[in-house]
Amino acid sequence: MRKVWAVIRREFIERVRTRWFWISAILGPVLFGGIIVFQIAQSVGGGVRHIAVVDTGKVGYGVRVVEALGVSRTIRADAASPAPGVFDSLTRLVEAKQLNGFLIVDDSLPTDGKAEYRASNLSLQTIEELQRTLNRVVEKARLEGRGVNPAVVDWAQALRVTLDQKKCQRGACTAESAGQSFIIAYLVAILLFMAILLYGVNVMSSVLEEKRDRIVEVLVSSLRPFQLMMGKVVGAGAVSFFQFLIWGVSARILLNLRAPIARALGADAEMAQGVQLPHIPFATLAVFMAFFLGGFLLYSAMFAAVGAMSSNEQEARQAQQPVTYLLMISYLSIIGLTNDPSSTFAKTLSLVPFTSPIATPVRWTAGSMPTWELAASLVMLAVAIVGVTWVAARIYRVGILMTGKRPNLKELMRWVRA
Amino acid sequence: MAEPVIVDRVTKRFAGNTAVDTLSLSVPSGVIYGLLGPNGAGKTTTLRMIMDIYEPDSGSVRLFDDLAGGRVHSARIGYLPEERGLYPKMRVLDVLVFLAETKGVARKAARAKALEWLDRLGLGERRLSKVSDLSKGMQQKVQFISAVLHDPELVVLDEPFSGLDPVNRQVLLETVLDYRRRGKTVLFSTHIMEHAEQLCDRLCIIARGKKLVDGTLADVKRTHGGKHVVVEFDGGEGAARQIFADRKLIAKAQDFGQHAELELAAGADAQDILKALVASGARLSRFELASPSLHKIFVDLVGPDAATPDKERAGA
Repeated sequence: MRKVWAVIRREFIERVRTRWFWISAILGPVLFGGIIVFQIAQSVGGGVRHIAVVDTGKVGYGVRVVEALGVSRTIRADAASPAPGVFDSLTRLVEAKQLNGFLIVDDSLPTDGKAEYRASNLSLQTIEELQRTLNRVVEKARLEGRGVNPAVVDWAQALRVTLDQKKCQRGACTAESAGQSFIIAYLVAILLFMAILLYGVNVMSSVLEEKRDRIVEVLVSSLRPFQLMMGKVVGAGAVSFFQFLIWGVSARILLNLRAPIARALGADAEMAQGVQLPHIPFATLAVFMAFFLGGFLLYSAMFAAVGAMSSNEQEARQAQQPVTYLLMISYLSIIGLTNDPSSTFAKTLSLVPFTSPIATPVRWTAGSMPTWELAASLVMLAVAIVGVTWVAARIYRVGILMTGKRPNLKELMRWVRA
Repeated sequence: MAEPVIVDRVTKRFAGNTAVDTLSLSVPSGVIYGLLGPNGAGKTTTLRMIMDIYEPDSGSVRLFDDLAGGRVHSARIGYLPEERGLYPKMRVLDVLVFLAETKGVARKAARAKALEWLDRLGLGERRLSKVSDLSKGMQQKVQFISAVLHDPELVVLDEPFSGLDPVNRQVLLETVLDYRRRGKTVLFSTHIMEHAEQLCDRLCIIARGKKLVDGTLADVKRTHGGKHVVVEFDGGEGAARQIFADRKLIAKAQDFGQHAELELAAGADAQDILKALVASGARLSRFELASPSLHKIFVDLVGPDAATPDKERAGA
C-alpha cells in the first residue's frame, strides 16, 4: 500500500508542479471575478440606456412616454423635436454610440397600438421595458378617452405584482427560476465533460510517458501493474479535485468580496448583493461529485489502457478516438437533455454507464429524477467501473511492456483473456 | 545460505520465436555473475524473467529459495534495465526517492541515501537538475544509483557499462566490485568480454536462448580453449605467417597484425614455436604462455558472426 501511495503522490506532485495546472487554476477565478465585475459595472452605469423619443403627432404622447420612463432605472429618455431630418441626425448619433436608440410614436398610438424603436443593439431587457411602459401609456390614454378619472388610473397602475418563483423537487421547494436550473444543468454538463476528458487524457499521457521512457520496466519489477494503474488514476483524480477546490474556494472569496469590489467600481453595496450565484443545494453537489468521480474512474481506466497499447503520442491520439467518441455522445446530448430531462432519451442516457456520468447530474439538477432512478444509475455505473477497470487492467498489464506496432482488436481480446 | 537466484529449465517464446530455451543457471551468494552472449541471445529476456517482469512459459525462477517471484522480494533486489528508464521531467533527487519508495524505503531514509550516493558518484551538484538536462552517462549513473539505493542483497544489471566513457566505466566498475566486497550478489549481462573478464567470478555464456557453458571463470578457461601463446612483433614479422599456418604446431591462430593469439596443436611444444619464429626472422617483443582470453572462448563457442565486435568495444 505504501508503494501505491508513492505512485499517487508522485503523480499528484509532478502534475501540480506543471505550468498548465497553475494557468488553469488562476484562469478559473479570473473568469469568475470578471463575471462579477461585469455584472456590477452593468448595474452601475453601463446598464443605463440613453434613448430619444420622437413624437410626430400633436396630442403629446411622446411627453407622456418620457414621463413614464422617468421612473425606469435602466432607461433614460429625452424628447426630441420632430424637425425635418431628425431621423437621419438621430441615426448618426446612434452610429456614433452617443445614443442607444430612439423611439418613434404618433397620435395613432392608442388606437392601433403601434410604435417603432430603432437602435444599434436590440437588447431584450430594453425592448421589454419599452413595451411595458408603452402599454401603460396606451392603457391610461384609452381609459381617459372613455372618461375615467386619471387619478384613478394612476392608482390602479401603481401596484405591480411580483411573482415569487419556487422550484419543487423531492418534497422541498426552493427559490429558483426555470432559467436558472436550465443554466446550472448546462454548466454542470459542460464542466463534467471537460473535467473527465482533460483528466482522463492526463492519465493516458502519463501512462504513455512511462511506457515510452521505459520507466515502467523498473516499476513493474516492484509493483503489480494493477497497483501502478490505480495509483496513476487516483493521483490524476486527486489533481482534478485539487483544481476544483481552488476554483471553489476562490469563487467563495470573490463572492464575499463583492461589496469592496462594488465600492471600487463606484456602485453601492446594495447593488453588489444583487450579484448572486444560483443556489446549489448540497444534494446536487453530492450527486455532481459522485458522478464526476464515477465518470472519471470509468474513463481514465479506458484512457490508461489506450496509453498502454500505444507506443507514441500519434498512435495514442488515434487509439483514444473510440473512447473520446463515447464521451462525446453525452456532450452532444446536453441540449436535448436540458430541454426535456424526463424524456425516454434522457432516461436511457442516465442509465447507460458510459453516458450517465454526465446525463444523470443534468437530470438531477433539472429536477426531474426520482431517487430510485438515481440509485439505479449509480449501481449501473459502479458495476461498469469494476468491469471496465478489470478489462483495462488486463490490457494495461500486457501493453505497457509491449513495443512495436499497436495491437488490433483480435490481439486485444487475447490480452484480455490471457 | 541459499543461492539468491536459481533458474530452472526456463523457456520463453514471443510470437513463435523462442527467446530463451530450457535455460538453467544458479547464482551463488556473494559473487559477481556474468550472463554473456551476443546481441539477441536472450540475456535481457532471462533477466526480465528473473525480475518478474515476464512470466516464463515453462520452468521456474527461484529467488532466495522462494518461488513467489521477484516482486515479492523487490526490497531485496535492485534492477538496472537495459533500456534506461527515468522520468525526464523530474528532478534527479525526486526520481531517486520515488524509485526507492516503490522498493519500500521510507521517504526520509531514501533522501539521505540518495544524497550520499549522488555525492559518491560525483552528481551531488546536479541533484536538483531535471533528468533530461543530464548527459547520457550521468543518467546512467543515476539509474545505477536507483538500483542500489535500497541496499539490496542482489543487484541485477542489464548491460551496465554500455554507453559510458572510460572514466565513468571505471567508477561504475569499482562500485560493482565494492558491492561484492560487502558480501552482496551481482548478476549482470554483457556482450563485451573484457568487462566480464575484469569482473566475473562465475559466468554463463548463452546464444540463441541456449546455455553453451557455465562455471567459474577459471573453470571455463581451463576446459575451453587449451594451451595458448600470445606473440607480439617488434617491427619485423619475417615468415611468421607461414608458421601460423602450420597445423602441426598451431591449431588455430587469431592474427591481429602486430600481435596474435595462438592455440597450440595437440602435442605441440611452445618452445618449438618460439624456435621456428626466431628462425623465420621475426623480431619478437613478447612471447607468452597464456590462458585463452574470454573473448576467444566466446568467439569459438558462439561463432565469429555472432560476436562481431561493435562500436562499444572500441572504448573498452
